[in-house]
Amino acid sequence: MVLLESEQFLTELTRLFQKCRTSGSVYITLKKYDGRTKPIPKKGTVEGFEPADNKCLLRATDGKKKISTVVSSKEVNKFQMAYSNLLRANMDGLKKRDKKNKTKKTKAAAAAAAAAPAAAATPATPATPAAPAATAATAAQ
Amino acid sequence: MPQYQTWEEFSRAAEKLYLADPMKARVVLKYRHSDGNLCVKVTDDLCLVYKTEQAQDVKKIEKFHSQLMRLMVAKESRNVTMETE
Repeated sequence: MVLLESEQFLTELTRLFQKCRTSGSVYITLKKYDGRTKPIPKKGTVEGFEPADNKCLLRATDGKKKISTVVSSKEVNKFQMAYSNLLRANMDGLKKRDKKNKTKKTKAAAAAAAAAPAAAATPATPATPAAPAATAATAAQ
Repeated sequence: MPQYQTWEEFSRAAEKLYLADPMKARVVLKYRHSDGNLCVKVTDDLCLVYKTEQAQDVKKIEKFHSQLMRLMVAKESRNVTMETE
């Protein structure tokens, strides 16, 4: 298990994602960490150490290579932004359901123009003038 | 190992589970590009699972991950209710 600095961890994580694009999974684990470096002994006294409350442990693996990093409250802001971008950029192989949603919305908007006053109350109202034109175009196609 | 169908229920249950025992609970994220799916598991030896193949869920999951990270890193241990819009 390789313990890295946050920045290096992000670089290695990017590499893991890229490596697994054709096959395999990427596993990411997130856990609260209290800073202990020695395992708790079964018998005898527990080592007198002060549990830190403000850290978390992040691990990543592709089944073979393992990397990890510790994030503390000081680094969390910067790390989180970079980490979120990384996840969003790499987890892009999933199905998009937007098409269905959009057609449902435009159909609903068209129906709203004809009937239900409830729909007029929805924030979709400003889009209504454009919607009939859009639906006419899609219907023509 | 209950598997949730809606993100709403899953995130609420997951948050509860974490707050019950922050040191024990952990979040596991499994992404398979070849299969095009994403699986989130929150466990403290009791598991909650959420699977998806939808791109729109990636944003929610990534936000959830960040929120939990912040919770773990926050020094004050208070009952924070995450707003999952």
